[in-house]
Amino acid sequence: MRPENYEAQRQPPSNEYELNFGPNHPGIEGNYALKVKLHGDIVLEAKADGGYLHRGFEKLMEQRLWIQNIALVPRICVPDPSPMELCYSMAVEELCGLKVPQRAQWLRVMQLELSRIAAHLFTFGGHAATTGMYSTMYWGVADRDLLLDLFEEFTGGRVYSIYNIPGGVRRELPEGFLQRLTETLDYIESRLPDYDNLFFKNQVFVKRAKGTGVMSREQALEWGVTGPNLRATGLAFDVRRDDPYLVYDQLAFDIPVEESGDAWARTLVRRKELMESIRILRQVVEILPDIHGPIRAPIPNPLAWNVPAGETYTRVESSKGELCYYVVSNGGPKPYRVHVRGPSSMHAVQVLEKMSVGSRIEDIAQTMFSLDACPPEVDR
Amino acid sequence: MSQQVAHWLDNLLKEIEGIEVRRKSSRRVRVDVPADALPALLELLQGRAGYIHLSAISCVDWIDDGEFELVYHVWSYESHSLVSAHIRIAREPGVYLSVYDLYQPAAFFERDIHEMYGIHFEGSPNMEKFILTEWDGPPPMRKEFDSEAYINEHLSWQEYNPEWLQELVAEGGGVIIPPEEQRFSQKKK
Repeated sequence: MRPENYEAQRQPPSNEYELNFGPNHPGIEGNYALKVKLHGDIVLEAKADGGYLHRGFEKLMEQRLWIQNIALVPRICVPDPSPMELCYSMAVEELCGLKVPQRAQWLRVMQLELSRIAAHLFTFGGHAATTGMYSTMYWGVADRDLLLDLFEEFTGGRVYSIYNIPGGVRRELPEGFLQRLTETLDYIESRLPDYDNLFFKNQVFVKRAKGTGVMSREQALEWGVTGPNLRATGLAFDVRRDDPYLVYDQLAFDIPVEESGDAWARTLVRRKELMESIRILRQVVEILPDIHGPIRAPIPNPLAWNVPAGETYTRVESSKGELCYYVVSNGGPKPYRVHVRGPSSMHAVQVLEKMSVGSRIEDIAQTMFSLDACPPEVDR
Repeated sequence: MSQQVAHWLDNLLKEIEGIEVRRKSSRRVRVDVPADALPALLELLQGRAGYIHLSAISCVDWIDDGEFELVYHVWSYESHSLVSAHIRIAREPGVYLSVYDLYQPAAFFERDIHEMYGIHFEGSPNMEKFILTEWDGPPPMRKEFDSEAYINEHLSWQEYNPEWLQELVAEGGGVIIPPEEQRFSQKKK
């Protein structure tokens, strides 16, 4: 995409034109581009163009020790890094046959759900900004910051917490943390009516989002769509319930669904998921004090750790959909192969390309944000 | 996955010749098949067993065996189980068939594997570069590609010693680790 590699070509007169939408554009999520062909305002063809965030994680992981990779994986998805740590740790645990202590599992659930709320608030903010409602963006980012404070307190890191390690978690909770967690949850919950009035019930947003970027359930299944985007087409599928990991099978939560499959439905599903995550966290707060014991299983010297040969495929429900790691070990001190399947590898490429066709140019940004596409997951 | 479904799946898979089925856990099944039998297997899984979601295609480079391993992970929304179908293809010439006709998500994964490993998938809708648009070196995820050697050969290292760091060191603060000691993983080699 460097300008010197492209020569301007004289084209015959036409009403059609091409436009590079991104990589530096306020309507694009992350560093990503869409090359669109337009007729007036209508998109005739869209081609995704990625690679701006390619950092070669999969290759790097083959060159690092098993334990070192824990610091690497959260960087694959910036807005929602916690599921990355967990998915990788789960893979190593499975290869080593490590049994994670109960308390660590509950702490992991707490971290994941906090991360989910933070990611959704971020997405709402970005989505609102595409319809010109910047206040929601400022609110979303500011409220997310309160969650980052909590992350900082119990993990030491605000964004990349690096809290999971194979076998459990790194730290015990600070004193009085659950009380502060409850206070923050109360605050976030008390803010939701304001968000509803400002954004979710706002006619500017509702009229723009309804009927934009529609996909049917059949299309969603055919295109490999997962997560909230799939649930917005009426299929109640959630890895947390249907392929359970950690202690999700002991928690009570609903799986919100919508039927219309448009940008409105997808956003609404996320809005309802926020409530479910708060509900899960309240259960964690209630149960966690009664669960005692170690927070990690004993592991060998991590600097001389040869993970037994084998392969495994682990799945986690991230805020964007189905996140999977395929990890292969040949019995050495470093992974032989790690394949990251980010949910956005579907949403940001094929799905976005197909959904953009026929839409108006001003709806591209909204479609992308409603899909909650995360380019760093695609580029890895 | 209930016992009944598991039994039924086992019977179904017996229809393929040369297949080896291993149940890893209640929701994970590993299947090894000869490369030619994979399209038939996927067709069977998708059409008769409800495995309609292609979760991913993973590629592993077994350079010592001269082979690539391709793993097709398919999920069933009905029986809530995941089948991973493993095949091996020769590293040279590294050509295989696309399964795009059966699973549309395959287009992304095949394009990605083509870019990173150089495997060509016949019949895949788009084999253009996506991530490494301006890269003209060898496919970088192949085991013979040594990224550190490539960097040393093609790029030059720069000394990084800005003024603020010098001041910090002069005051007795800051720790500078010599480059050869920075990464213990490298030292072990």
